[in-house]
Amino acid sequence: MERLSFSFARKPDLAYISHLDMMRLLLRALRRSGLPIAYSQGYNPHPRLTLALPLPLGVTASEEYGEVFFSEPVGPEIFLEKLRRQLPPALELTGAFIRKPELPPLAAEVNAALYRVFIETYINQGIFFQELNSALKSLLNKEEILMERKNKKKKVTYKNVRPYIFKANLKEEEKNTLELSLLLKAGSSGGVSPFLIIEELQAGSTLKLADNGLWRVHRQKLYKGPEEALQPLPEGM
Amino acid sequence: MPVDECILNKILGKVQKPARYLGNEWNSCHKDHGQVKLKTAFAFPDLYEVGMSNQGLKILYDSVNSNPELLMERVFAPAADMEDLLREYDMPLFALESREAVGNFDLIGFSLQYELSFTNVINMLDLSGIPLYSDKRDEQDPLIIGGGPCVYNPEPLAPFFDFFVVGEAEEVLPDILSEIASLKAKGMNKGDLLVELSTHDGIYVPSFYQPVYDYGILQGLKKLEPRAPDSIKKRYVEDLDRAPYPTAPVISYIETIHDRAVVELFRGCARGCRFCQAGYTFRPVRRRSQESVVNTARQIIDATGYDEIALSSLSSTDYPDLELLINQFDTVFPNGRVKCSLPSLRLDSYSVKLADQIHHGRRSSLTFAPEAATERLRKVIKKNISEEDIFKALEDAVKAGWQGFKLYFMIGLPTEKDEDVEAIPELCRRIRKYFKKQEGRSLKISVSVSTFVPKAHTPFQWEPQLPVDQVVRRQEILKKGFSNMPGFDYSWHDAKTSMLEAVYARGDRRLAPVLERAWQLGCRFDGWSEHFSFDNWKKAFHDTGIDPETFAYQQFKYDQPLPWDHINCGVKKEIFVSEHHKAMQIDAEEGGADGTFEL
Repeated sequence: MERLSFSFARKPDLAYISHLDMMRLLLRALRRSGLPIAYSQGYNPHPRLTLALPLPLGVTASEEYGEVFFSEPVGPEIFLEKLRRQLPPALELTGAFIRKPELPPLAAEVNAALYRVFIETYINQGIFFQELNSALKSLLNKEEILMERKNKKKKVTYKNVRPYIFKANLKEEEKNTLELSLLLKAGSSGGVSPFLIIEELQAGSTLKLADNGLWRVHRQKLYKGPEEALQPLPEGM
Repeated sequence: MPVDECILNKILGKVQKPARYLGNEWNSCHKDHGQVKLKTAFAFPDLYEVGMSNQGLKILYDSVNSNPELLMERVFAPAADMEDLLREYDMPLFALESREAVGNFDLIGFSLQYELSFTNVINMLDLSGIPLYSDKRDEQDPLIIGGGPCVYNPEPLAPFFDFFVVGEAEEVLPDILSEIASLKAKGMNKGDLLVELSTHDGIYVPSFYQPVYDYGILQGLKKLEPRAPDSIKKRYVEDLDRAPYPTAPVISYIETIHDRAVVELFRGCARGCRFCQAGYTFRPVRRRSQESVVNTARQIIDATGYDEIALSSLSSTDYPDLELLINQFDTVFPNGRVKCSLPSLRLDSYSVKLADQIHHGRRSSLTFAPEAATERLRKVIKKNISEEDIFKALEDAVKAGWQGFKLYFMIGLPTEKDEDVEAIPELCRRIRKYFKKQEGRSLKISVSVSTFVPKAHTPFQWEPQLPVDQVVRRQEILKKGFSNMPGFDYSWHDAKTSMLEAVYARGDRRLAPVLERAWQLGCRFDGWSEHFSFDNWKKAFHDTGIDPETFAYQQFKYDQPLPWDHINCGVKKEIFVSEHHKAMQIDAEEGGADGTFEL
């Protein structure tokens, strides 16, 4: 059994597919490639492929990770060569590494994600910046930001996601564009979506962000480790 | 010029399932518009997920695009949210591959699969900025053509279309398109072009014929163009092994209704069930050789990465040596990594045995269509299986470990009595009781009961649709029957939807303005219960002064001209008459009620 992890970028042409679509796309590409993908045991065996963190619909990314098991040794070079031929141009494989069998599942390691939200200013850029920045400041000054969730019994519960915002910063990118960078907690132990932050910022200002579609979200990097000592994901694979 | 990318991105960010509109799926075909002689769009008047499950689309897309001088792109009916945004941003309907406005193509071919998608055809024309009626379109507008099962009675759509292709188009369509390209290059105008095309088998130019009515009764069609044929002979593929077949079909990002590879075992069906249009219009039976089935399957799996392959046909177990074929599949795709499925199983032991062979793993449920619950009625519709066969087959299935069954029935069949309807829950009850006694466990049985709609080119084409109030009454009988049997998953079809289907399946050109009016009133996706509005349709019929009941409920006489008489499906009318006679004879013999039968 060989365990490989790989990194990839998702370009705008493929931004509008869901996590499940992405999994299907990768699985079919793997099957076409003829690489000896391993299957789980049991009555309904399924191929052993996972992505570190689901990529939300509409979001592009620079450096995502996934891992796959093969029943026979393949090696990073052959893997890259064969799989690349089966992927659309908007899904670019950027690297592959052998991952030690004793390491935990990749998905269990992810603890944070860095998002870059690009916002087109539709009024005077200076005023727009000031307004959004003060909304951001007051959001960060809150002790509680409640996120509505439904539990298994479909009952609505609330979760305070303020501690999940590790860092947030707004800057003027270029003419007519602002960049909001968000370092957010992510992964199996809980997380917050950048979309929620955008909604909160809209609610705390007179600006229309969510409704007018003048913004896009890009995921820059994934991190592991505790908040105080986050490490970019490929470290120590 | 493709549509504005900035606006499109904004729209895609707002709609449900934006992957419906991307067009860059694996195996999709992107050609340079400047390098082809004719640009065509395949238009499917339903959602992407439905259209992408249609094998006809995949076959034609492949056969046209394999010609380097031709181009075919895809366009589907936009969902309601997408339509609203297209209208809000004043963006035309665009073909997926190039994102070029559909209105800028040379030809748009609509796939006409069922009557309840007709309002979507109108909507798609409107969203493309194309005049709805063919006589309002000029030389600059694309040619609007139609194909598919509904073309066996195309009359309600006649005024909207330039021509229809009757029958199977995969071999003939590239030739037709090449001819159009060369005639257009010579500067021939649309009128002359249509005359030229109408001389080919399978091409029906509706504007060359004019219906004649007498006191509201159709007397037939008057030919306006002397060179056009009196009747239009369907086209069909003679040898499936040699006909084009897509071995690298487009695979969607999102899950479609049938998300799997499909290889056709054979086309046509020798059974001749009297209610089944496909059983007559796809004659003769043509078989794909075992070698071709296996090779095609292997190529599709290699080119797509699918993990399931369906061996399709109208009655899979009629394929000779099917067992041998399935064994071969196990060798070609070892380890059960590619699942094989057999739709359209007959309710007999042989089918169960085969289902057993191909299903590795969990056995959830097997689907069968007895269609009717009494032996008399099954004989009337020529679905010749005895109750003994049914029980034997189900017993074999249970022994093989299947956990449940899905059973399909119809109500509203000709000669049906209340007792035939009552027999449906009764049969289900006996099936379950039998197995509870035998196996000591309950089976999961889900029952789906649809309403029969008489279709053109079948022995039942003269028969009326059962009136809505009668359908509702019989559905009440079913509900009552199933109500004291908990654990059955019972579903039925909306009676009004079936009535509308009957109107358009049996109707003529007078229904075209109703369609336009219904669309104006907001009717779309009429086959989807969440969108269907019978009130809007009622208003449309009222506003246009058309009585839908005359179309749905009239019993045609044998000597009366039918709206679809000029379409020649290859089966002579005498055969339908004789089959209809036989059906009614059985009814009389089996003591089915009074036996009065006059035509």
